[in-house]
Amino acid sequence: MRQVKLNNHISGKFNIELENLRNSVLTMGGEVEQQMVDTLRAIKENNAGLAEKVVLNDLKINAMEVQIDEECMRIIAKRHPTATDLRLVLTIAKATTDIERIGDEIERIATLVTKNNLPVSETIKSSMLTIGEHVVAMMRGTFNAFARQDEHAALGVYDQDNRIDRQYKALLSYTSQEMRQYPEMMEDWLEVLWALRSLERVGDRCKNICEYVVYLAGGSDVRHASIESMQQKIDDLAQ
Amino acid sequence: MLNLFEREKLDLLALAPEQTAISVEGLNLWFGKKQVLSDVSMKIPKHRITALIGQSGCGKSTLISSFNRMNDLVDGCRYNGTVEIDGRDINNSRENVARLRARVGMVFQRPNPFPMSIYENVCYGLKLQGMSLRRSLDDAVEQALRDAALWEEVKDRLFEPANILSGGQQQRLVFARALALQPEILLLDEPTSALDPLTTLYIEELMISLKKRCTVIIVTHNMQQAARVSDYTAFIHQGELVEYADSDSLFTMPAKKQTEDYITGRYG
Repeated sequence: MRQVKLNNHISGKFNIELENLRNSVLTMGGEVEQQMVDTLRAIKENNAGLAEKVVLNDLKINAMEVQIDEECMRIIAKRHPTATDLRLVLTIAKATTDIERIGDEIERIATLVTKNNLPVSETIKSSMLTIGEHVVAMMRGTFNAFARQDEHAALGVYDQDNRIDRQYKALLSYTSQEMRQYPEMMEDWLEVLWALRSLERVGDRCKNICEYVVYLAGGSDVRHASIESMQQKIDDLAQ
Repeated sequence: MLNLFEREKLDLLALAPEQTAISVEGLNLWFGKKQVLSDVSMKIPKHRITALIGQSGCGKSTLISSFNRMNDLVDGCRYNGTVEIDGRDINNSRENVARLRARVGMVFQRPNPFPMSIYENVCYGLKLQGMSLRRSLDDAVEQALRDAALWEEVKDRLFEPANILSGGQQQRLVFARALALQPEILLLDEPTSALDPLTTLYIEELMISLKKRCTVIIVTHNMQQAARVSDYTAFIHQGELVEYADSDSLFTMPAKKQTEDYITGRYG
C-alpha cells in the first residue's frame, strides 16, 4: 500500500495546509455519516423532529463543500501541487462533491420522514433500515479507506455496493407488487421509491469516492472499469 | 472522444536516428577530481523542448554545456562517453568546435549583449561566419529579431546601443543573436530566471514557436516552467539521470521516489 505522506514537505506550512484539507474532508464525511445514522433512527422511531434536524443540518454540509473547494483552489493557485500532492487535491475536490451529493440524498429521505410519508409498512421499514445499515457501513468503509489511502480497502468497499444494489432491486420488486395491490396509496409508494432510490445512490457515490482513493494511492484512473480490471490495475501498480 | 490535449509520447529509449537530436551514451565528466556527471545516457528528440531539472549543483548546466563543448573552456575538465549529433561524436578531437557552436546555440541566465549596437549584436556571429553583403545581413538581422519577437520594438533604433534595452528585451536580443545563426539545437541555461513573470511568458511562447525550426533544451529551476513548456523532462540528481519521461507523466505520476520528492518539495 502506497501512502501519500503529507508531513514531509520542506515547507511546513504546506504540510499543515494539506493536513487541514484532508481533515476537513474527513470531518465532512463524518457529518454526512451521522446524518445518515440520524435519518435511519428517525425512520425507525417515526421521529419527525430528528428528521427536521437532519434537513437543517444539510446546510452545514453544503457550506463545508464550498469551504473545501475554496481551499483546494487556493492551494492550486499558490502551491502549484504536483504528483501525489496534485492527486490529493484533485481527489479531495471531487470527493467533496460526491459527499455533498450524499448529503442531498439523505436530506431528501429526511424530508419525506418529516412529512410522515415514510415508510408505509413494517416490511418496507425493516428492509429500508437493513439497506440503510449497509449504506452506513459502506460510507464508514469509504471514509476509512480515504483516511488511510488504502486502495485495497477501497476496492473491498466498492464491492459492497453489489449487495446494496441486489437488496434495492428486491425491495423495488416488492414495492411494485404492493403498488399494484394498493393503487389508492400510489403517492405514498412513490415517496418510498424516491427514498429507496436515494439510499441506492448513496452507495453509488461511495463507489465514486472509492475510485478516487485508488487514484490517490496509486495514480491509476479506474473510473468506469470493472472490479476485475480495477484489481488488475492495482496489482500492476504494486509491481 | 474529446481531443483536449495534444499528447505525444515518444519512446525515449527507442528513438529512431532521424528523430534524435542528441544521443548521449555513458557520459562521465569530472572537474578536477570531482565527478560531476555519472554514466548519463539519454536520447533527446528533435523538434521538441526537453527540460533538465534538479537541485543546484546536480550537473544539469554541465550536461547542457556538454552538448556544444562549452566545458572544454573549464580548466581541469575531462570526460568520457559519447555525445552524438547526427551520428557524429562531437567529442571527437577532429570536430570543428566553432562550427559545432554555430549549430548548437546557447542562451545563458543573464542577458549578455555585446557592448555594441542592437544590429551589430545580431549580425556578429554571421560576420564571423563570413557573411559580409549588407543586404544579406539586413535580411538576416530582421528575420532573427522577428523570430525573437523583438523586431517591432527595436526596428526604429537598430543602431542604438544594446544596453539601453530592458532586461527582457536584452534576453530576446540574445535569443535573436543565437537564432541568426539558424542553430539546429538551442541550449537555454535558466533563460528566464532574471526576468519578470510577463517577460518570462513571452520567452516561453518564443521557445514553443522555436521548436518548429530547432530542438530546444532548457535548464530550469522553475518546475512550473518545465511543466508548462517542455515536452520531455529529465530529472538529474548528484550527476545521475534519475528519471527521463514525457513531462505530463513526470509531473503527475513520477516513477521514481527521488523525482517525486523533488517536484513536490519534500525532503527524502
